[in-house]
Amino acid sequence: MGPDVARAVEEVRAAFPANPVHATDDGDGGAWVVVEDVDVGTSCQPSETWVGFRIAFQYPYTDVYPHFIRPDLVRSDGRVLGEGTSPGAFPLDGRPAIQVSRRSNRWDAARDNAAIKLLKVVGWLRNHP
Amino acid sequence: MTTAWDLILPRGLWRRLREHLFPGDGGEHGAVIAAGVARTPTGGRLLAREVIFARDGVDYVPGERGYRMLTADFVRDSIISCRNEELAYLAVHCHGGTNHVAFSPDDVASHERGYPALLDISEGQIVGGLVFAHHAVAGDLWFPNGDRITLRRAVLVGGTRHTLTPEATWPDARPDPRFDRQSRLFGQTGQSVLSDLTVAVVGAGGVGSLAVELLARLGVGHLLVIDPDRVEASNLSRLVDATRLDAMSWFTGLDRPEWVRAIGRRFAAPKVRVARRVARRANPSTTFDAMQRDVTEQDVALALTAVDYIFLAADSMQARLVVNAIAHQYLIPMVQIGAKVRARGDTGELLEVYSVARPVTPESGCLWCNGLIPPGRLAAEAYTEDERGAQRYVDDPTVVAPSVITLNAMATSWAVNEFMCMMTGLPRPYDGSAYVEFWPQSGEVRRGRPRRDNDCPECGVDASSRRARGDSRRLPTRSR
Repeated sequence: MGPDVARAVEEVRAAFPANPVHATDDGDGGAWVVVEDVDVGTSCQPSETWVGFRIAFQYPYTDVYPHFIRPDLVRSDGRVLGEGTSPGAFPLDGRPAIQVSRRSNRWDAARDNAAIKLLKVVGWLRNHP
Repeated sequence: MTTAWDLILPRGLWRRLREHLFPGDGGEHGAVIAAGVARTPTGGRLLAREVIFARDGVDYVPGERGYRMLTADFVRDSIISCRNEELAYLAVHCHGGTNHVAFSPDDVASHERGYPALLDISEGQIVGGLVFAHHAVAGDLWFPNGDRITLRRAVLVGGTRHTLTPEATWPDARPDPRFDRQSRLFGQTGQSVLSDLTVAVVGAGGVGSLAVELLARLGVGHLLVIDPDRVEASNLSRLVDATRLDAMSWFTGLDRPEWVRAIGRRFAAPKVRVARRVARRANPSTTFDAMQRDVTEQDVALALTAVDYIFLAADSMQARLVVNAIAHQYLIPMVQIGAKVRARGDTGELLEVYSVARPVTPESGCLWCNGLIPPGRLAAEAYTEDERGAQRYVDDPTVVAPSVITLNAMATSWAVNEFMCMMTGLPRPYDGSAYVEFWPQSGEVRRGRPRRDNDCPECGVDASSRRARGDSRRLPTRSR
C-alpha cells in the first residue's frame, strides 16, 4: 500500500470512527476498503450497509469510484435507487452488490479525498430525492 | 566507468540567473542554486529548482580572503533551506570571459575551508560551487560520502537545448556519409549532438514504431523503447515492419479454436522486438534497449529518469501520469502524441478527426494541469478489462479508438522534427511549447499554448510541487 493510499485509509477511519474499516492491499500499491455498518438513513431499507471501494495506486490523482453496497438495499418509498446504480459484484471478493457509480466531474487531487468522496456517496444515498 | 555529473538548468531560470550575474557592470555577483538530485547508472544530475539571489552589498560582500564572498547569514539560511527541502546547495558566482571559465586559487581554497562544514550542516545533501562565464561553467561538487567530483557540464533545457562546459568544446564532427544530406541542415555538430542523446519511446504501437524509425534514421545514438504488448493482426496496418508472422496470424484467426488462438497470442512477437528490428535496420549504430514491460512499474519508470527526451506514444492515462511526472520531477522534455476520432453512435458521422502532438518542457504547463489526465479514466484503468465490462464503464460513446497510420504519421513526424530542432539548435519563431493539432478533414493545423497552474502538484512553482525534486519524491507507479 503506497503512502498516499495508506493516508487515505486513515482518513476514512477518521471520518467513520464508529465503523469497522477493513483495508486490503490490491497488489499494485492501492487498497480495497470496506466500511461496515454505514448508516444511510431511513430513506433506505435496510438503513445500514457495508460500502466497498478501491483506492487505486495512483491516488490522489485518481477519482475514487465506483462504490459497492449491499445488494438488497432499496428505497423506503419504493422508487428506484437512483441514476448510476446497477446490480453487480464487489470485485474484491465477488460478493453480490449494488454498484454506485458517482464519478466526480471535478476531482481535485489537492482537495478531494477518499473519505470526502465516501461521505458524498453516503449523503447521496440518504438524501437523493 | 567514468562518473559524470551534470547540472540541468531550465532556460527561464538560466535567463534570470544570467541577468543577475551579468548585468553589464563587469562585476562579480553571487547566488545559490537549490537543486534536486537524480542519480544515474553513470553518475547523476543536479536539477535546478530554485535560484536564491544574493544581494550585492548585503548578501554578497567584499571577501576577507578572496574578492567577494557570500555572507555567513546568507549561506546559513540557504543551506538550511536546501537541507529541509532535500536539495543540493550550489554556491554560484561569476567571472569574466566568454567560452572559458575556471575556479581561481582563492575559490578552491574557499571550497576546501568551508565545504566540509557545509556538508555537516546539509545532513546528507550535496554541496558545491559553480562559476559561470557568459557561455561556460565550471563546478566543484562535494558529496556526503567524501567524493569530490568536477561538474561535466550544464544542460540548458526548454524550447531549445544547449550545453555549457568549462571550455568551449566541439563535438566529434567526423562526417558520416549516411547523414550527409541531413547534416547539411544542422551541421556535423548537430549530427554529433544527436548521436550522443538517449531518447525513450514509451509505447511501440502505431505512433511509437514510426517514432523509432524516424529517430534511428536521424542518428539518435541510444533508444530505450518500452511496451508490454505483443503484435496482433489488427496492428499490421500501422506497425512499421510488422509481419503476419510477428502477429502469428495463422494461429489467431477468428475461425481457429480458442486454444490455437491462445498459442498464437502467446508466441506473437513483442512489439519492442519489432521496434528493435526497425531501429537496427535503419541505423545499425543506434544502441537499443527494449523493455517489454509497463511504464507504470516502478523500475521501468526509473529507467526513464536518465534519458534526454521522452516520446509518449502510449494510450493509457496511467502512462501519461507517470511520464508527465518524470518530465517535471527530472526536468526531461517530452512530447505526448496521439489521435482522436469522434463519431455519432447512431449514424457514424465523423464529428472530429485529428492527431495531436503536445510538447512538455520543464517550464511549460503539463498534461495534468491542462486536464489531459482525467481522474475518472485513471480510476477506470485500475480495473481489468473484465472488471470494467462487468461494471459497465462507459467511455465517451462517440469516441472510437482510432489508429490510422496516416493520422499517426502527421503528428509523429511533426513531433520528431520539433525534437530535432530542439536538440540541434535550429531556430524556430516560437519556444516549442505549443500543442499542435492536425485536422485532415479541413486541412487545418491548430496551435495552442498550454496553460500552467502555479499550484499544479506536477509543474507548479508551489513549494509542494514535484518539479525538479529528482529522487527525493516517489513517482506515481505501482509498488509490488
